[in-house]
Amino acid sequence: MSSFEIVLFKYKDFWLMGLKYTMLITVLSILIGIVLGLLFAIMRIYGNKFFKAVAVSYIDLIRGTPMIVQLFILYYGLGSTGLVKFTPLQAAIIGMGLNSGAYQAEYFRTAFLAIPTGQTEAALSLGFTRTGLIFNILLPQVVRIVLPSWTNELIALTQYSSLAMVLTVMELTAVSKYVGSKTFLYIQAFSLAGIIYLFVSVVLTRLMVYFENRLSIPGVSAQKLRI
Amino acid sequence: MKEVLRVENLKKSYHKNEVLKGVSFSINEGETKVIIGPSGGGKSTLLYCINYLQKPDSGEIYLDSELITPKNIYEARKKIGFVFQYFNLFMHLTALDNVMIGLIKVKKLPKDEALKIAKESLLLVGIKEDLWNHYPAQLSGGQQQRVAIARAIAMSPRIILFDEPTSALDVELIGEVLQAMKTLAENGMTMLIVTHELEFAKSVAHEIMFLESGVIVEKGTPQEIIEHPKSERLKKFLSKIAKGEE
Ligand SMILES: Nc1ncnc2c1ncn2[C@@H]1O[C@H](COP(=O)(O)OP(=O)(O)OP(=O)(O)O)[C@@H](O)[C@H]1O
Ligand SMILES: [Mg+2]
Repeated sequence: MSSFEIVLFKYKDFWLMGLKYTMLITVLSILIGIVLGLLFAIMRIYGNKFFKAVAVSYIDLIRGTPMIVQLFILYYGLGSTGLVKFTPLQAAIIGMGLNSGAYQAEYFRTAFLAIPTGQTEAALSLGFTRTGLIFNILLPQVVRIVLPSWTNELIALTQYSSLAMVLTVMELTAVSKYVGSKTFLYIQAFSLAGIIYLFVSVVLTRLMVYFENRLSIPGVSAQKLRI
Repeated sequence: MKEVLRVENLKKSYHKNEVLKGVSFSINEGETKVIIGPSGGGKSTLLYCINYLQKPDSGEIYLDSELITPKNIYEARKKIGFVFQYFNLFMHLTALDNVMIGLIKVKKLPKDEALKIAKESLLLVGIKEDLWNHYPAQLSGGQQQRVAIARAIAMSPRIILFDEPTSALDVELIGEVLQAMKTLAENGMTMLIVTHELEFAKSVAHEIMFLESGVIVEKGTPQEIIEHPKSERLKKFLSKIAKGEE
């Protein structure tokens, strides 16, 4: 057995566990981020003064502080008050979801603003309410515009999910450190982690390009992309 | 004759710029009225105020004798069609879906009924079946504007407002849009049209109103307005149009 094979096969279950947690954190936090991002974007564009202020403050606060500080506050900070005690995994998912929400709010906002106001006027002139307008006319176009940004966000979150290791979650990076310390094959262990991250990122990117093509509409989304 | 729309002493300012200075007129069922006037005179603002896309500062608007207020505006808009200068089709929907979406989401009609109405509306403006599944970006300007007209008439409005429907079009595409509008006029649709197509106005308008600097300076039959203008300002405006400057 080569040293690489030892690292891979002897600790196969650990790697699988790491991959599972990495994917779990990434996918759940981007979903939380989508919901929050849409909510804050709508609040910021269409809300009254109060909602606007809430959205802007949230976005500024999250984007202006490091994610690791946010994770520490959620897990150690809140934990120490005894008010809420999240598990490390919960804290990582919630923290990264809250973080992604702020960035996605801005993706959504620029997408909403990219749609010519004439379509809003046309919808209102047909008798659409504001909610009907947002969900039937604007959102289907917004989704197509933010798709490339989601690809970006998905890949970024895949890498950032490694921060969960500081909360003791056994995701990929934590696993590679553990395997390295057990075998002293550090280079092999960390390289393997890198290869898995790369593989995941490339697969996710291709998947998103597939969706971009599936959903592409002349005049709304970018021209068909070649994979 | 039954009155469909009445505008009374409508005023609108943007900041300190008074754009409409008390405009009044009315339109009866089946009538076509045309508004002409120089750029910046308030023509678009007038149309936008009628269905509250811009909120009027003061004055009253009655639709079928009912006062339009912010409370009943959503109901009123269903009965007021609007055709825009730049078409404003929904880019993510096919021609057919552009016409259907208001019927389904606003009027809550069942899908098969909406489909039937949408097809009839598209055929009325000369959009044939081969174009029904095209997206707006795959249609010419003239075709897009005719789909936009179909979208408006499908809702069976009491009146349709047109804001310079042909001014964004290449010359060779203007005719097909005017022809569609003529068909509507012949079918008895009530219409208020901002346009500088004077030949068209002569052939369909019951009355032409000359709007300048926020007031209706002169109004009358196409004969009176185009052949025998009274005010100096209208004379000047018509000669500018003849020279192709407006
Ligand atoms: N949203 C707005 N905010 C501020 N000023 C506006 C707005 N819309 C129009 N105006 C101003 O109001 C005046 C009338 O504009 P309007 O678009 O109604 O003129 P118009 O007669 O339709 O002109 P055109 O023939 O060029 O379309 C102009 O001076 C314009 O600058
Ligand atoms: Mg105008």
